[in-house]
Amino acid sequence: MWTRVNDIDRMFDAMDLFRSRLNRMFTDYGGTYGEDVGWRVINGSPRTNLFDSGDTFQLIAEVPGLSKEDLNIRIQGNYLELSGTRNSDAPQGYKAHRVERDTTSFTRSFTLPADVNADKIEAVLHDGLLTLVLPKAEAAKPKQISIS
Amino acid sequence: MKEATDLTTRKEEMLERRQELPRIAPMVDIFENDDEILLHADMPGVTKDNITVNVDNGRLEITATRRLQTKGSSSWQEFSDVEYRRVFSVPQSIEVAKVNAELKEGVLKLHLPKAEAAKPRTIKISAV
Repeated sequence: MWTRVNDIDRMFDAMDLFRSRLNRMFTDYGGTYGEDVGWRVINGSPRTNLFDSGDTFQLIAEVPGLSKEDLNIRIQGNYLELSGTRNSDAPQGYKAHRVERDTTSFTRSFTLPADVNADKIEAVLHDGLLTLVLPKAEAAKPKQISIS
Repeated sequence: MKEATDLTTRKEEMLERRQELPRIAPMVDIFENDDEILLHADMPGVTKDNITVNVDNGRLEITATRRLQTKGSSSWQEFSDVEYRRVFSVPQSIEVAKVNAELKEGVLKLHLPKAEAAKPRTIKISAV
């Protein structure tokens, strides 16, 4: 009898293993070595992350090799537009063996989940990442409700 | 009872070590002139402390990790913490001691100078 239970248990172990492999397949998808790429303009725009921390939004975009003159940020209400141009940084007098890095211009627009206060936006460009801190408009901020 | 403990211990031993970060090959441009080979690699978000460049026996390895500083809950996320890694074979004639690298705006620029012996030379033809 015990051996039977043991067998069943082993089978479940195997299934667990299989399930974790499957789970990982999805998280690793597009992240495997050699398949995904460092930077590329996807559908004409750089990759971004948006975080919501109650009073502010934080938007981070990957823009390697762009200086602040190459970037343009426009905002109206909850509509944000990010555009930029990446110029070739190929040096003069060199022969190119391999050119994988895109040199394009892009425009990407976002509809933010809430209105933001356009006067208090901070934009920082650091190590090829553009970080925007967007404070929400008063009406969109979370409010504490006191219980009477 | 003993069997049951055996099972639990075995299960614990079978835990797999998960790969910590997704691994990405950075995009590169490679240029060459008479004096050096120049490599540009895109690595947004990498600081110079998190990057290693290794030249060993004709093998050039670039590794870097990116850890993003974030706060709040994610509304959407298209990129994450990654490990950048890429390996190239380089000619033996590279002067390893003079290799220098600069990191600016998320782009690594790696200068690999050629050894004197490997530089092209013009041969003068002497008139008889």
